[in-house]
Amino acid sequence: MAGVASPGCASCAEHRTQSLVRLGLSPDRWDTLIALAGNPNTGKSTVFNALTGLRQHTGNWPGKTVVRAEGAFEHAGKRVKIVDLPGTYSLQAGSTDEEVARDFILFGRPDVTVVVVDATRLERNLNLVLQILEITDRVVVFLNLMDEARRHGIGIDPAKLEKELGVPVVAGVARQNAGIAELIATAADVSAGKRKTSPLRVVRYAPDVERAVSELLPVVESVYPEVPNARWVALRLLNADEAVQEAVRSGELGQLSSSAGDAVPTIPPELERQRLLEAATRLRWDLPADFHDVVTQHSYEAAERVARAAEVSGLKRAGFAFDRTLDRALTSRTLGFHLMLLILAVVFWITIQGANVPSSMLAALLIDDGHTWLKGLAASMGIPWWLDGFVLDGVYLATAWVVSVMLPPMAIFFPVFTLLEDFGYLPRVAFNLDSLFKKAGAHGKQALTMCMGFGCNAAGVVATRVIDSPRERLIAIITNNFSLCNGRWPTQILIATIFIGALAPASLGGVVSAAAVVGIALLGVTMMFVSSWLLSRTVLRGEATSFSLELPPYRPPRILQTLYTSVIDRTLIVLWRAVVFAAPAGAAIWLISNITVGGGTLADHLVGWLNPFGLLLGLNGVILLAYVVAIPANEIVIPTVLMLTVLTTGVAGGSGAGVMFDTESAGATEAILRAGGWTLLTGVNLMLFSLLHNPCSTTIYTIFRETRSAKWTTVATVLPLAMGFVVCFLVAQVWRLVGGV
Amino acid sequence: MVDPLVALLVFAGVCVLGAALAWPRTGLLARVARASRLTERVLLEDAMKHVYTCEAIGRTGTLESIAGQLEVSTGKAAALLSRLTEMELVHTDEAGTRLTAQGRDSALRLVRTHRLWERYLADRTGVPAGEWHAEAERMEHTLSPAEADALAARLGHPAWDPHGDPIPTPGGELPAVERLTLAAAAPGRTVEVVHLEDEPREIYDALLADGLGLGARLDVRERSESTVRVRARGREWPLAAVVARNVSVRYLPVGESADEPAETLLDLDPGQTGRVLDISPACSGSQRRRLLDLGVVKGTEVVPELVSAGGDPVAYRIRGALVALRREQAEWIRIEKASVPAEASA
Repeated sequence: MAGVASPGCASCAEHRTQSLVRLGLSPDRWDTLIALAGNPNTGKSTVFNALTGLRQHTGNWPGKTVVRAEGAFEHAGKRVKIVDLPGTYSLQAGSTDEEVARDFILFGRPDVTVVVVDATRLERNLNLVLQILEITDRVVVFLNLMDEARRHGIGIDPAKLEKELGVPVVAGVARQNAGIAELIATAADVSAGKRKTSPLRVVRYAPDVERAVSELLPVVESVYPEVPNARWVALRLLNADEAVQEAVRSGELGQLSSSAGDAVPTIPPELERQRLLEAATRLRWDLPADFHDVVTQHSYEAAERVARAAEVSGLKRAGFAFDRTLDRALTSRTLGFHLMLLILAVVFWITIQGANVPSSMLAALLIDDGHTWLKGLAASMGIPWWLDGFVLDGVYLATAWVVSVMLPPMAIFFPVFTLLEDFGYLPRVAFNLDSLFKKAGAHGKQALTMCMGFGCNAAGVVATRVIDSPRERLIAIITNNFSLCNGRWPTQILIATIFIGALAPASLGGVVSAAAVVGIALLGVTMMFVSSWLLSRTVLRGEATSFSLELPPYRPPRILQTLYTSVIDRTLIVLWRAVVFAAPAGAAIWLISNITVGGGTLADHLVGWLNPFGLLLGLNGVILLAYVVAIPANEIVIPTVLMLTVLTTGVAGGSGAGVMFDTESAGATEAILRAGGWTLLTGVNLMLFSLLHNPCSTTIYTIFRETRSAKWTTVATVLPLAMGFVVCFLVAQVWRLVGGV
Repeated sequence: MVDPLVALLVFAGVCVLGAALAWPRTGLLARVARASRLTERVLLEDAMKHVYTCEAIGRTGTLESIAGQLEVSTGKAAALLSRLTEMELVHTDEAGTRLTAQGRDSALRLVRTHRLWERYLADRTGVPAGEWHAEAERMEHTLSPAEADALAARLGHPAWDPHGDPIPTPGGELPAVERLTLAAAAPGRTVEVVHLEDEPREIYDALLADGLGLGARLDVRERSESTVRVRARGREWPLAAVVARNVSVRYLPVGESADEPAETLLDLDPGQTGRVLDISPACSGSQRRRLLDLGVVKGTEVVPELVSAGGDPVAYRIRGALVALRREQAEWIRIEKASVPAEASA
């Protein structure tokens, strides 16, 4: 870090920008930089939204902000930039989140750090506040959720807390925007130096730790006389904190406290810096083995003292009994599971019923009318056939298809699910189901990401962020694809109706095919458990694990805001990604059907080439090719299959080479498929393969973004595909052996 | 169309072949990998480390002990020793085989990498304690000194490995550790486990299963030639002297007792308040950090409030928050029951 170590311009704006770029912050211009820190699930994101007016997705969940969010607003003519740090319980740098938060507070040199504190869990939150106060004195504490605290009979006197902590305390309710204006004004005062703070730094540790600290402290103070938090630096050096050691080694440590405009402190000579590091290394041998335990214990004891001093006792616990009763019912042995199944059934019913009408309206509008109209327009303008085919039949049609199938269910499912999340019910579901998931080596919260996967696997993968244990999160990500997603339900229903429902008497056909689809979905759930179990005992066994599940208090859901944010954040983002991937797929589908090589289209050659393998699996070449080109979205598999069948077999139907289509009725579809050589076995195996194959490209991309690992993305892609091949193969061979066709 | 029976048979064949190839530990691939790992260099390094270990416990490495430790013939051991002598890493005289200064440096580097890797496995991964040693045996030959330093930096330059052994610094410094073994501890005293020998694996596993992790406290009751009777947390049991020799301990002040109430969070009835005494040493790494961060420290009051419908996680009121803990986590947390019922249960 040569630029950082050079003494020339260490405190000018460029220097600071440089060190922020290192922390991944975009170097826009701003006057004041605010860092937002706090425990998970304290309403940090809500405060962030209230400050910036952004609608970052918030939920009643510990551990939402994994990716750091940035926003900006203007206050009194100043541009204020605000960075939302990951929610953490401490700053001991034991996890990536903690490192990110700590590094930013230390090296990002925010003008002020706002710590959001959950008034209902004051002690635990103060543990973090005290740790932050040891690093920096420019702190404002925002005492959030005051209404909830009152409801639970907890009263806190902000003035007393302020006196105890020595930094400004603003009380409020971020959800109702209460206290936000005061918070902004206070933060501005602290950052401008108008309000001086004298943070509480009373934490004293066990005798052997104190002995080491008191020996190291004079060395820190002699080498870096200008450092305001020498005690903290000494402790971190004893803890061998890599980032702090590096700051000592490079001399950057001395510059962290200087604000712009001050004289730049000179960097102490290298020999001195070396002396400090060596002293710390020597003292480290004498520390007790449970050093970390002792430090945490003392921090909590101090937090407890502060909390006791600031608490107002004798309040009535109005909401407490209600939460209690509700919790008892929702987690009871007799009622818990029934209520859960009932609620989930209602959610799915609302989704399916509600999506029917808008889905067919969108299909009529975009595909039937829209496509025809655009084709007519293109014809009247005299656009060449290949351009019109490529753009309208390929790109447009694939996109329109994905939108019309995907949008309505997601626009209903996600908000309803989010309402349950906001209310606080979902952690209770995880709580109830955890013992089941534990047997498979997974986390109870996987029940929820799995449910989310029934809507969309990409959204399910994103939702795994609520699982904060690395091994269990990877398991949830890799197995999410076993949840039969919204894009695959129509395929299942169609094929089940044609091939399985037809086996039963007409009056029972509907029931039988519905049972077959549910059976496939349950098979998916079984596969999810089986592969979770396998993964946790093989490739993932070495990943770190740390179970924790916090049950937040119930909060009245904010219906309008939930609708708004879940549509914007989950639905539209997922839809956008799907569209981005579907458009080129449409182009590819059109191209393989229209490019002719040596007397046949590309599609002909590919289908012929894939056919022997397809037949071995009880499928056929058309299906395999459809799954290859329709990898961006499961929604377009059936239209592609129909188009390719017509194209390669010459059956009557369809709208031309490369133009995906759907028929008016299941009967017409059946005629085309039977003509393509389909049997009951093909139908059954297609249903199996539709469940067990690689995730769509949107999901694969999302998995990569979430894991940042090519290895795990590959595992998540190949595992279900291999399972699908094996299962289809075995079913086909046994079927033929037993005498089926 | 391929005959289905043939197809199935071919498939079964492929499965068997695949299993024979890729089966963990006994599969062909695993064997090949192991054989290719045991190169001349690895054997030389292991021999050198063995000599070092012998010196550290005041013995002298011999041809026979090297052959035994490395599971090679005496002839092979002799060849290894003469090669090490050629490289001026050891020298042998009538007193036995000793490391040269250069040999000591190299051996310390191996020890450093080994112990760092164990620390890494304990702190940052979910690999069970019984496998740390074997994994580290492998990694000590693969990591370069620079990689070991990078690892040390990532781990915060730890001073001790998870078994209680000091990790040598890059400069080769190592504090001298005087050790008292459990087999030699005076009856009537209370001791704390400061080190566990991680080899042989069987004994180490047995010790862990007995709850004798680092930091465990024991009352030494009786001692004979063959056994040591110990007592901890309300239970008394005999330990074979061979096993006890693998446990190093330190005396706790006279008057302390390991016979604390053996109660854990599991012993609390719903609504009953418990005060945390400590977290079992068996809970380490990220699991321990998480419990500490949630406020499970000495003196914290904990009240079980909700049992999940599945029976297993139980939600405890811990410092104002409702936190669900699994059975095995609750078992790690030792408590004493508070005499006065908590306000929360009212």
